[in-house]
Amino acid sequence: MGAIHMNNDLKILLARIKILFKLQYQTRYWLTVVDDHFDHTYNFFFHSQRKHQRERSIPVHAVDTYDLEYLEPLIQSLRKVYQFSITFVGFEDEYWPSNHRIIQRKRLWDE
Amino acid sequence: MNYAGEPTGVYFLIDNKSFYASVEATMRGLNPLHTLMVVMSEQENTNGGLILATSPLAKKHYHLQANVSRQRDLPQDENLMVVPPRMNLYIQRNIQINDIFRRFVADEDLFPYSIDESILDLTHSWRLFGDTPREVAVRIQKTVRKELGLYTTIGIGDNPVQAKLALDLYAKHTADLIGEIHYETVPEKIWTVDDLTEIWGIGNRMAKRLNRLGIHTMNELAHANPYLIKEKLGEIGSQLYATAWGIDRTSLHQPYQVKSRSLGNSQVLPRDYRTQEEIETVIKEIGEQVASRLRHHHVLASRFVLGIGFSYASAEASGRSGFSVGLRLDATADDAPIAKALIRAFRQQWQDETIRNIAVYSSDFSDDSSYQLSLFTSFARHERRLRTERALDLIRERFGFTALVYARSLTEGGTAINRASLVGGHNGGNSYE
Repeated sequence: MGAIHMNNDLKILLARIKILFKLQYQTRYWLTVVDDHFDHTYNFFFHSQRKHQRERSIPVHAVDTYDLEYLEPLIQSLRKVYQFSITFVGFEDEYWPSNHRIIQRKRLWDE
Repeated sequence: MNYAGEPTGVYFLIDNKSFYASVEATMRGLNPLHTLMVVMSEQENTNGGLILATSPLAKKHYHLQANVSRQRDLPQDENLMVVPPRMNLYIQRNIQINDIFRRFVADEDLFPYSIDESILDLTHSWRLFGDTPREVAVRIQKTVRKELGLYTTIGIGDNPVQAKLALDLYAKHTADLIGEIHYETVPEKIWTVDDLTEIWGIGNRMAKRLNRLGIHTMNELAHANPYLIKEKLGEIGSQLYATAWGIDRTSLHQPYQVKSRSLGNSQVLPRDYRTQEEIETVIKEIGEQVASRLRHHHVLASRFVLGIGFSYASAEASGRSGFSVGLRLDATADDAPIAKALIRAFRQQWQDETIRNIAVYSSDFSDDSSYQLSLFTSFARHERRLRTERALDLIRERFGFTALVYARSLTEGGTAINRASLVGGHNGGNSYE
């Protein structure tokens, strides 16, 4: 484990997001990170929605290293490149290891 | 009715509620029943998008058909989530689900039926898991939901057809997603169906034919004269009469014998193809694909059919929707002679129409351990070519189809490279390799 590993996940994420992030007019972009309790992975989805249109959700990557200690720096590195919002799903009652802040504040209605 | 002589067991027909959409929902941490979602294929040839699956809520909300509909039938609603398909993921989930079923039945009592349906013969094992078959069904549902997050719908019957009807008529419409039909409940469960097309095996056309015999409900079908039905509708009529009485004498354990095997591929082109060169490129590609599959199955084929479908405008203008040509060759699985013969057949029939569909089928198989010698080609040359193609197959098997392609596939009209990543014509998936 370690830096090489993370760089690889980060590289995949950045490369795939770059293709999808088209900066179109009147379009909202955000990222969803899912704690997948069934496969024990963190699933990343790229969302986009143009005003008054359907929401699109494209799978970008699944991180196999199922460990918050690993996920936290990965998210931090990602935020350095992209500033759009990140929604966390499936992380109820989980806290970031570095500062013990809660990861996901409210539960989604359809979770 | 005396059912004493009829085969009786405990059969479950289990299907996944809106399978593709449900898998996508669980991957996103969402509840499959509470999500407004459609899975849409946006391949080049789907003309703007084809809806492959719809979550139960979206079905209700937008009054969508259960089966494939078009993008244009879908409203622009901000609450609706559109996601691309990942066929490989669904296949993997299907295997996981069947692995769960295997904990409840022996391998030989599990019959996967489609990507989201399986038949389980629990006759010999249900007592191990509960006091009633329904209890076992609930247990299976809970296991799948807990381990994979998916909801399953279960039809229970004394034979497979009862299980199928219980699934379609009842399980899909109840809160607990379980339906049951037994010999003794046939009158209340099957005969009360007033719309014949709700019954598995009866479509609009068959319903009309039954109507003409004065049969409009299942009750009327069950009490019609079986000899008259057989006389008017043939074997299929007798089968429907048996269905009305909940009778099914098939044995799942005897493998179904296919009368004649055939193997082929077809595709809808991403746009209208006009030039001879473009069309022939794809014919050649499909021919090579079929040849490669023949080699994979270790058979030679001696009969080939080329099917060509015209574009809508061309079909209107020429008055025919396309053509198909049958060819007979010396038994072969080689790229070159197959492609050559297909192209020759195409040139004979084609009159500058624009084209949207191409299909190649092969049949009349023989074992590839024997080879018909010909006076006109030397055996050494044949063998050399065969070895090259085998090598090509091996490389593609190991490194993927696109590892080695004919230069022609890179030209304007070629579709082989793009299609190599598709499963059943749709996106196989990504990022989960």
